[in-house]
Amino acid sequence: MAKVAMKVNGKQMSGDVEDRTLLVDFIRDTLALTGTHIGCDTSQCGACTIQLNGRAVKSCTMLAAQAEGADIMTIEGLAQGDKLHPVQQAFTECHALQCGFCTPGMIMASVGLLKDTPKPTDEEIYHGLEGNLCRCTGYINIVKAVKRASQLMAG
Amino acid sequence: MTPGKHSRLEDQRFITGQGRYISDVNLPKQTYAYFLRSDRPHAEIRSINAKAALARPGVLAVLTGEDAIAAGFKPMPIFLMVKGRGGAELIKPPRPALAQGKVRFVGDQVALIIAESPAAAQDAAEYVEIDYRDLPPSTTPAAAIKPGAAQIWDIAPNNLLFDYEMGDAEKVEAAFKAAAKVARINLHNTRVVANPMEPRACIATFDNAQDKYTFYSVTQGIGGLRMQLSAAMGVPEEKIDVVAWDVGGGFGVRFNAYPEYMALLMAAKKLGRPVKWVASRTETLLADENSRGVDSTSEVAFDAHGKILATRFSFLCDIGAYCVPVGAFINTGGIFGQLTSVYDIPVSYARSRLAVTNTAPIGAYRGAGRPLMSYAMERVMDEGARITGIDRIEIRRRNLVPTNKFPYKAYHGKVWDSGDFVGLLDHAVKASDWHGFAARKADSTKQGKLRGLGIACYIEETGGGFAPHDEVELRFGSNGELAMYAVSHNHGQGHETAFAEIIAKVMGIARESIVLKNGAPESPRLVGNATGGSRTLHGAGSVMFQGAKEIVEKGKELAAQELEVAAADVEFADGAYRIKGTDRKITMRDLIDKHKGKANHPLNVKTKLTIGSTYPNGCHIVEVEVEPATGVTEIVKYSATDDIGNIINHQMVEGQLHGGIVQGVGQIFGEHAQYDAETGQPLTGTFMDYYMPRSNALKGMQLFDHPVPTKSNPLGAKGAGEAGNTGSLPALMGAIVDALRSAGVEHFEMPATPARVWGALQAAKAGKPAAFAPAQA
Ligand code: FES
Ligand code: FES
Repeated sequence: MAKVAMKVNGKQMSGDVEDRTLLVDFIRDTLALTGTHIGCDTSQCGACTIQLNGRAVKSCTMLAAQAEGADIMTIEGLAQGDKLHPVQQAFTECHALQCGFCTPGMIMASVGLLKDTPKPTDEEIYHGLEGNLCRCTGYINIVKAVKRASQLMAG
Repeated sequence: MTPGKHSRLEDQRFITGQGRYISDVNLPKQTYAYFLRSDRPHAEIRSINAKAALARPGVLAVLTGEDAIAAGFKPMPIFLMVKGRGGAELIKPPRPALAQGKVRFVGDQVALIIAESPAAAQDAAEYVEIDYRDLPPSTTPAAAIKPGAAQIWDIAPNNLLFDYEMGDAEKVEAAFKAAAKVARINLHNTRVVANPMEPRACIATFDNAQDKYTFYSVTQGIGGLRMQLSAAMGVPEEKIDVVAWDVGGGFGVRFNAYPEYMALLMAAKKLGRPVKWVASRTETLLADENSRGVDSTSEVAFDAHGKILATRFSFLCDIGAYCVPVGAFINTGGIFGQLTSVYDIPVSYARSRLAVTNTAPIGAYRGAGRPLMSYAMERVMDEGARITGIDRIEIRRRNLVPTNKFPYKAYHGKVWDSGDFVGLLDHAVKASDWHGFAARKADSTKQGKLRGLGIACYIEETGGGFAPHDEVELRFGSNGELAMYAVSHNHGQGHETAFAEIIAKVMGIARESIVLKNGAPESPRLVGNATGGSRTLHGAGSVMFQGAKEIVEKGKELAAQELEVAAADVEFADGAYRIKGTDRKITMRDLIDKHKGKANHPLNVKTKLTIGSTYPNGCHIVEVEVEPATGVTEIVKYSATDDIGNIINHQMVEGQLHGGIVQGVGQIFGEHAQYDAETGQPLTGTFMDYYMPRSNALKGMQLFDHPVPTKSNPLGAKGAGEAGNTGSLPALMGAIVDALRSAGVEHFEMPATPARVWGALQAAKAGKPAAFAPAQA
């Protein structure tokens, strides 16, 4: 067992974990932030995507201990109070979600993508979301939503 | 189509991380389950020794098939209404909660380990010793029914469970003899895995005092799940509560109970503590119901003018190691419900054989049999066009059911109540600029690419439903909000929004004041169908519509009292009751609020309707470009024209079509659950090996409506959930074949992976144009 501490959604958090505990399990089980999902065992689906030190990261690809001291944002920390983040706003406007299971990861990945590429082309969106799977939407509205979010963010 | 103005009501919680999926929930004193699964495809279990596992830290119990026998469990139920050739019954292999005596596929659950943590349970599984005697496996139906193949079930000679036929073999044979031309094609519809993004997750509990089970689960409908659990556990339905919240996708594979569920309930009773199980993706791939995996042969007899004289089909269907509750249905009635498709066909004959194999059991997946039929029909229509030299549009048009023949009674007895197949085809041809293809192809050729054009017309019978009717209850809460209760469970389709919009429109109240209480513990026990077969909107949705109208009717009396007139003098419009011919009114909202807080609100209603199938249909036209040097194929244009009747929420319907079509894209371009034929080992046990479509799957998509409302339900709606998938498979494959033909490939079959496309092109160059043709079914 080891003690880990990190900043999550602006708050200092800590907990005891087994050495082998994945960051995603720490977030879900210890911190009870269950908006971050688990959809695979091999880091392919992106349902677990969070922001770690400002970058979109799959939280199943690292150990909780590796995030010691990190600054993390999960889907729960994205909106400012009642005010949705433009990516959240665009996802609902464009009907970019159905069952909602991939959605937190998709949104966090899109936030990361738009940070690097504020005005993405279709190809750049395909590339940026390569690591995120959705089984419901056929992605068409997700791609639309990323573009819409880009517009919203440009103001 | 323009995007809808309103966001879905359920979206807010999903986009903020507040959805509640089973894996998010923990109950006090909860324990954790891990299933030890067979690592071999076919073997006798000689002994299981769990001593060492039980001695591991935190381990509470290890349960096996013996425990399920001791618990008095029965095999899982199997539903099939029809008999086979010569009146034979379906052979029903008994599927136990945990393997008994034998394992039959890699992934078969052998033992259940319960511990204080998920990791402890998984660790302990390594210490369970199982002594197996290996038996030879069969991984395809063709191999399983070969003489000499090892028997998977003693009760199923030659590994065949059922031989089903429909139509008139003799008349068809006579028509073929008289035919001017006969088109014939062998096809293979690959085995795929539905892969909802949420792996299965459940919590089983048992309350000793009440002698009652509660099962928190992912499901498409609590009623069906409860019924199946009750049948398999030998426990009356009143003793089982099923609770479900947000469900991360279903696509058919969250319809049935799974044997693991009974094992978990058994463990909960034994331990007196809640038992939680969250499946891994590997378990999804290995042990969720898989889908399709069908060899088929299609034949069409044409007269000299390209009119169809008769059709004949043969399907050899993989059932997997066990027959799941709907496994036999989808591969018989599920396919043959559309026997004559959109065409006016005088006589037909079809046969379907269901074989067991040492693979994951096969269940329903987006279309549940319908895409098999559309694929078998449309691919042979293309072949018909080729051998008769008649254009692909023209040969279809000549055979479509003419619009003046509706309602049309098809040869196999189904009645297509409404449609305009010819008008729809014309609409689709125009919308897709079919006739501009030659110019686009010339451009592609200049760039060294092969361009292909594909078309598919389809019809499907949406689910008639297994329940006798759909029942809903509408109850006003203490704040005047309206709670809707129904069996059909939302797992992405948007029930919360669609139902609320239907009711809001009738009653003239805000849709935000209407809440779907799906699968909640306090729900009344209702009769109704699960979500499936594309029937929720016109099934439960129609009952919501009727319920809202009943509320309006009930309210007349109350409004009359408020307005101090006779009910006959009151009329309802735009959300308010008015005294006829005056301005005096009371709004529905005010009337509801006047009575709010009462234990039994006077406007509460419970109502039901029996709603049957609808017949959505359409035409999908696709263009692809193949890069011959790499075999990479891209969809460059996809236009779908569909008749799904009246549309309640455009944006959500489009979403359903997008999802269904892209699942078709996934199957055509790469999804393929594979087993090694020799060892029986799965080759696609993770997302590293199992291809899934990604965000670039479908570009250039256009949707067009050609609605012909149906009178079979009050909404005039037809099912939309599976239409996209049913149209997409043949259209996509037709386009790929068309492209490859221009490079000399005669036959090609899914999946169109770059390696296979490239291989087929190389084979054609080497003088083997049919190297990728499947065998006869
Ligand atoms: S759970 Fe992390 S990528 Fe799938
Ligand atoms: S919305 Fe269901 S997986 Fe993306």
